[in-house]
Amino acid sequence: MTNVLLIIFIISLLYVSIANRIITYVRVLALQGVILFGVTFLQLHAIETWNLALIMLETIVFKAIAVPVFLSYLIKRNKITRVTEPYLPNFISLIIITMIVVITVLLANSIQDTHLDKIFFIVSLSTLFTGLYFIASRKKIITHVMGYLMIENGVFVLSLAVGNEMPNLVNLGIMLDVFASVLILGIFLNKIGDVFKAADVDQLSNLKDY
Amino acid sequence: MLSISLILFCSIFFAGIILRTKSITSGRMGPGILQPVKDVIKLFRKGTIYSDTTSIIFRIAPSVTFASVLMACMVIPFGSSKGLVSFDGDFIFFAYILALGKFFSIIAAMDTGSSFEGMGASREALYSMFAEPAFFILIGSFALLTGNTSFYKIFSSLHLGSSITYMLGALASFVLMMIAMIENSRMPVDDPKTHLELTMIHEVMILDNSGFDLGLILTTGYLKFAMYGALIADFFIGNLTALWAIPVFIFIQCLFAVMVGLIESFMARFRMSHNPQFILALSSVSFLIFLGVLLVLEKFV
Repeated sequence: MTNVLLIIFIISLLYVSIANRIITYVRVLALQGVILFGVTFLQLHAIETWNLALIMLETIVFKAIAVPVFLSYLIKRNKITRVTEPYLPNFISLIIITMIVVITVLLANSIQDTHLDKIFFIVSLSTLFTGLYFIASRKKIITHVMGYLMIENGVFVLSLAVGNEMPNLVNLGIMLDVFASVLILGIFLNKIGDVFKAADVDQLSNLKDY
Repeated sequence: MLSISLILFCSIFFAGIILRTKSITSGRMGPGILQPVKDVIKLFRKGTIYSDTTSIIFRIAPSVTFASVLMACMVIPFGSSKGLVSFDGDFIFFAYILALGKFFSIIAAMDTGSSFEGMGASREALYSMFAEPAFFILIGSFALLTGNTSFYKIFSSLHLGSSITYMLGALASFVLMMIAMIENSRMPVDDPKTHLELTMIHEVMILDNSGFDLGLILTTGYLKFAMYGALIADFFIGNLTALWAIPVFIFIQCLFAVMVGLIESFMARFRMSHNPQFILALSSVSFLIFLGVLLVLEKFV
């Protein structure tokens, strides 16, 4: 069952690579939160109940509800255009993300270690690289934040793989999560959208000295 | 024998169900579910007009296409009973006999000398080319899973047991359904109702066909749908007895038709430039199925 959820997680990455609207990214992030909730529930059976309850509450409240709602609120409030505006066409994004998955599979297969839970490793590593690719290939700041959130989901998946032995690692992942929420709160409630009408990193290239 | 007769039977009402679903969702009564077949019979009684610029290829193409789809239907098994033809590697035969039919419809469209039809032919070739890896990776993964290379052996030794195999079955049905939509030029990729030649794919290729030939082409489309429906159904009826398998088969075909109708009612056609990425996404999903098969076989982890 965990494997099924993780495969859906990878499919969500492929889906986000061909999405045209920013709101789709937000929905996929919410979906990933729900999937992580399920994986947490199925995977962490050996840790104490209170800690498990805390982690599950965090995944469902922060990852699946609070952050997506807040992001969609920000998109409305700052009047960010609905199109994602990638530097590369979506077709190439899809090929690149498929290649990322292939390479991580090959990488994971070449590691001869019995302690490593490979499907978790593949999913987390490909999510991480996908997040990095998103940050590199999208123009808007808000999509960069979403790429960061995706990276953090990947880190969370990897921490779940060892969660039974090292529950503190999962808690650290949660800390990162809360930190990221505060980060987007800080960036966007500081009226960045009001001062600079378009939060577009392209305009930074206009800054040059003569 | 059972499979081909069931496919022929289902193809009679398949298009009717799609049409009826679309009518009901848009708030109309709609024609009876045998209306498409009646249309085809009407076309069969009509004469055919050939353009002066066309050659023999244009005349034989509809028949070749129809024959190729009929041949492809023959290799499809029904649950645990064989199809009419069955040999090792018949899924490759299946894919390429369909490609032969498609090739003839493409060169027939070029034969008319119309620029619109050439454009449609080019698009059709492009999209089938993109759909091919999805199909091969999908069936190849199931061949790997069961260790056999013919449709009959794959489906009769496929047992959906654990949750991950159900997941693979669901994903495979999704991919096959989307391939069926692409091969039949239906909604997310092509709109059969469009009236602008610039946006058509399949419809523009058959603009010059009339009468008997047009009827044959329409029949081919219905048969193709029922054929892919049969492939999807085979994933689920592998270990049922014939008594149960037949109703389940017909139920899955009806469900497939209703879903096609619903997709056509609630989705808009993609922009032409978005089609390749959508079709390539299917290949990526098939690739994930392949990884899932490796997972089941414990080749890694």
